[in-house]
Amino acid sequence: MRNFAVSLLSLTVLASVAAVASAEAAASSQVASLRRLTQQEYRNSIADIFGKEIEVRGAFEPTIRIGGLQAASTAVLSVTPVGFESFTNMADSIAVQVTGEKYRAKLPCAPKSAKAPDDACAAQVLGKYGRLLFRRPLTSDEVRNAVKLSNGLAKSSNDFYAGLRYGLASLIQAPDFIFRMETATQAGDKQYALEPYSRATRLSYLMWNTTPDEELLQAAQKGELNTAAGLSKQVDRLMASPRLESGMRAFFNDMFELDTFDTVSKDSILYPKWSSSIAASAKEETLRTAIDLSLHANGDMRDLMTTRKTFLNRALAADYQLPFAFKSEWMPYEFAADSGRSGVLTQVSMLSMFSHPGRSSPTKRGVALMDIFLCEPTPAPPANVDFSVVNDVNGSLKTVRERLMAHATNSTCASCHTHSDPIGLSLEGFDTIGGRRTTENGKLIDVSAAIQGKKFSGAEGLGKFLHDSPKYTSCVARKVYAYGRGENSEDVPASAFKAGYKAFADSGFRLRSLLKGLVEDKDFFSASPPEPTSTATKVASQ
Amino acid sequence: MKVDRRFLLRGTCQGALAVMGMPFLDCFLDSKGTALAATGRPLPTRFNTFFFGLGLTKQLWIPKTGGKDYEMTGQLKPLEPYRSKLNVFSGLRVPLDDNPNYQHWSGAAAAATGISPTKQSEFDSKTIDQQIADVISHGTRFKSVSASAAGDPKQSYSSLGGANALPAEASPLSLYTRLFGPGFQDPTKGDWKPDPQAMIQQSVLSAVAENRKRVMQNLGAADKARMEQYFTSVREAELQMIAQQQRPEIQAKVTIPDAPGEMVCNNALPNLRAATPLMARLGALALATDQTRVFNLSVSEPGSQIFMPGDSLGYHQSTHEEPIDPVLGFQPRVAQYNVDTMELFAMLLKELDAVPEGDGTVLDHSLVYAFTDQSFAKIHAVDGLPIFVAGGASGRMKSGFHVAGDSSPVSRVGFTIQKAMGVSLDVWGKGSMEIRQPYTDLLA
Repeated sequence: MRNFAVSLLSLTVLASVAAVASAEAAASSQVASLRRLTQQEYRNSIADIFGKEIEVRGAFEPTIRIGGLQAASTAVLSVTPVGFESFTNMADSIAVQVTGEKYRAKLPCAPKSAKAPDDACAAQVLGKYGRLLFRRPLTSDEVRNAVKLSNGLAKSSNDFYAGLRYGLASLIQAPDFIFRMETATQAGDKQYALEPYSRATRLSYLMWNTTPDEELLQAAQKGELNTAAGLSKQVDRLMASPRLESGMRAFFNDMFELDTFDTVSKDSILYPKWSSSIAASAKEETLRTAIDLSLHANGDMRDLMTTRKTFLNRALAADYQLPFAFKSEWMPYEFAADSGRSGVLTQVSMLSMFSHPGRSSPTKRGVALMDIFLCEPTPAPPANVDFSVVNDVNGSLKTVRERLMAHATNSTCASCHTHSDPIGLSLEGFDTIGGRRTTENGKLIDVSAAIQGKKFSGAEGLGKFLHDSPKYTSCVARKVYAYGRGENSEDVPASAFKAGYKAFADSGFRLRSLLKGLVEDKDFFSASPPEPTSTATKVASQ
Repeated sequence: MKVDRRFLLRGTCQGALAVMGMPFLDCFLDSKGTALAATGRPLPTRFNTFFFGLGLTKQLWIPKTGGKDYEMTGQLKPLEPYRSKLNVFSGLRVPLDDNPNYQHWSGAAAAATGISPTKQSEFDSKTIDQQIADVISHGTRFKSVSASAAGDPKQSYSSLGGANALPAEASPLSLYTRLFGPGFQDPTKGDWKPDPQAMIQQSVLSAVAENRKRVMQNLGAADKARMEQYFTSVREAELQMIAQQQRPEIQAKVTIPDAPGEMVCNNALPNLRAATPLMARLGALALATDQTRVFNLSVSEPGSQIFMPGDSLGYHQSTHEEPIDPVLGFQPRVAQYNVDTMELFAMLLKELDAVPEGDGTVLDHSLVYAFTDQSFAKIHAVDGLPIFVAGGASGRMKSGFHVAGDSSPVSRVGFTIQKAMGVSLDVWGKGSMEIRQPYTDLLA
């Protein structure tokens, strides 16, 4: 074993010299964006490349939210040692399955002998999967390095497939797979635009939340994605596929911040009805509602704020206190006209995610909904504020509204609270787990509110206000754009998604029109010119 | 031609092999790593952090007198059994200079880095545990390990700087699996032998690292730093494989237990009381078996969302909304939560002190740095942050003292800790928290 390792080391030294030479030749293109795959993108990609039977088991590093989207953080975060430990273990486990006896028949070739290296066959397998993993053909150096690794380890273990396992694993943990590396070249004066394979990647993860399929890769290879007609053809194909649902589910999950549920806990004494199965179901309810309205019904996205149509399972029916007969796990349901419910705003998900464990929070709800649906983040409150009055339920102020109003008479507090509280106060007819209520501490709850001089009442009033607000539809367009490009939505100028928004509005706010309008606009694949840097690669000390 | 460190390492390695027939693995150790080959060396000193949100109540935790014979206060009662192994710091300043007071962040970041943060939720440098790990963790399987008793991988105050927090293990089971699952070979057992898989995996990692030169081309400055971080992580995985080839030298007589079952880990206090001792125990065992020398445990985020079932407000909301009792002069419900978190801290100390090794316990051969985000959470105050340092650092730290408010910046504690841990540095912290003078009286 030791001798083998030594010879391997000398090989890798030679290989690194070769890699430097080839990299210098390809220096004309620039990496425009580097996005770490999300958990779901990674899982979907592996399933599409190797098949659904391949198990992916392991932990993924958490993401953070920037400008309301986790997608933006993927362009900022790196891979920590803890994260990489998981990536390297997953890569090996996937490679073990792919080179295992059960899977071998699916590989593009069989070795001359299973007990010896076979470079030709290894190159075929690694080239095939490498292209799918890296979302572009491998360079000859990349194939050679992976084959070399497989060869050495096949030789030392007298097992072709054992060697192949490690060659494949090296590709699955390479930065070219773990990151979506989008490259751009100069496209006119001071303008950079994504290269064809990077276009395919950006389109595919936006539309299907997975790696580009064979047809898309071929369209990239033929340069079709750089022509309006070729691009349009692929966009139509991607949008016509049922897989658009996976892509848009991922988007809605991100935009509605449904991952918040992963850390929501409720007070088991005050709300014994709550369980983790309700949390999972509530998330699914909102996704089903959004997908059904936007894709299945090709509906008006504004109606997401007002619709009483939803989907329920047993756990949710109990939470909503609805007697309900189930013929299948999930059933469509329409809330009664006097239910007080209004679109996703009053689903258990939104109401419970932005509340305290044991009580509702108009401030939390208001701040979250302003950010999610109107793209208006609320600044952090000043550090030294006396909130005692907000809590003293034994005093003369019985409802949260009365207590908040008292607090908001303080002028520093008022500026923000008049911004976010109206939304939250109009939802006070629902408790921390989304149940309907009319009184708080024995007093009737007042659900009237006013935003920018417009008066409304209750969730239905809020839903109608958002439905009619151009800020809401503009926010949806802004977030799809930022999500697709991995940018901070707050930094995106309105001009960037103007074309998409126009298509959205012209169609009566259909999601497909927005998508098509955005990705077929010339701006969608544009990139900023590279910053002037010295040519020498700086080696940071570790 | 520019030659990077990895290349040099290889070159030297091959030369050494050819000339001296030096064992393959040893050639990867740098000059500090040579200690690994020695036998009968002293036990390594380990480092732990304990993070608890929302501070304590001033009137109830600060001992009236400084020095050794202070009277134990109500809120520190749970720490009484470890009093002789504990240092209590009160009256520390947290000057934020020109930066805003990021609520529930500035204080925690200052304690962890000695730097007033310039962004919410980001550290402006590596955190203290990582700075220490860079020095003490050579040759261990894990450079550091973090755990969140509340079950949230984001509740980690161990960071490489910026947004690169090192995710925490979020349940006793996942902590157990990482430490004692696949890849672990029990050094307490007689049949220990190097796993040939580790050497093969190391060559795979080496091949992955070869992408570096190619990939680093054509990246903007920010992306270059991110990619550099990726390759540093690859390198750490290689070091992990190398460490797994070497039997850890241990003195503790411990038995690795069976894996704990699945359990609910969240902010509910009863669940925290169940998860914290289990995680602390696993951390102590990991230190005793030299799987890692740095263990970080958090029981909440800053702005702790801990709640006792039945209390509709919970800890954080209570700090802001509970009125100050006019008779008592403090917030009674908040005060109870304060004590609850000190009980959780005591659970960590208990487990570290329960593992005997050499001439003492793991706690005696460790330092534990406990810190928080606020001194008076109601108004997001940071001056007077409660800070604790436990353990004897293998005799390099004196303990049993209450270091009463001398208006030193909080960074002085971090600086003193690093001195005791053997980190060679003359200055730590930035701006008004830049410090050159440790608590020399505490250093042995």
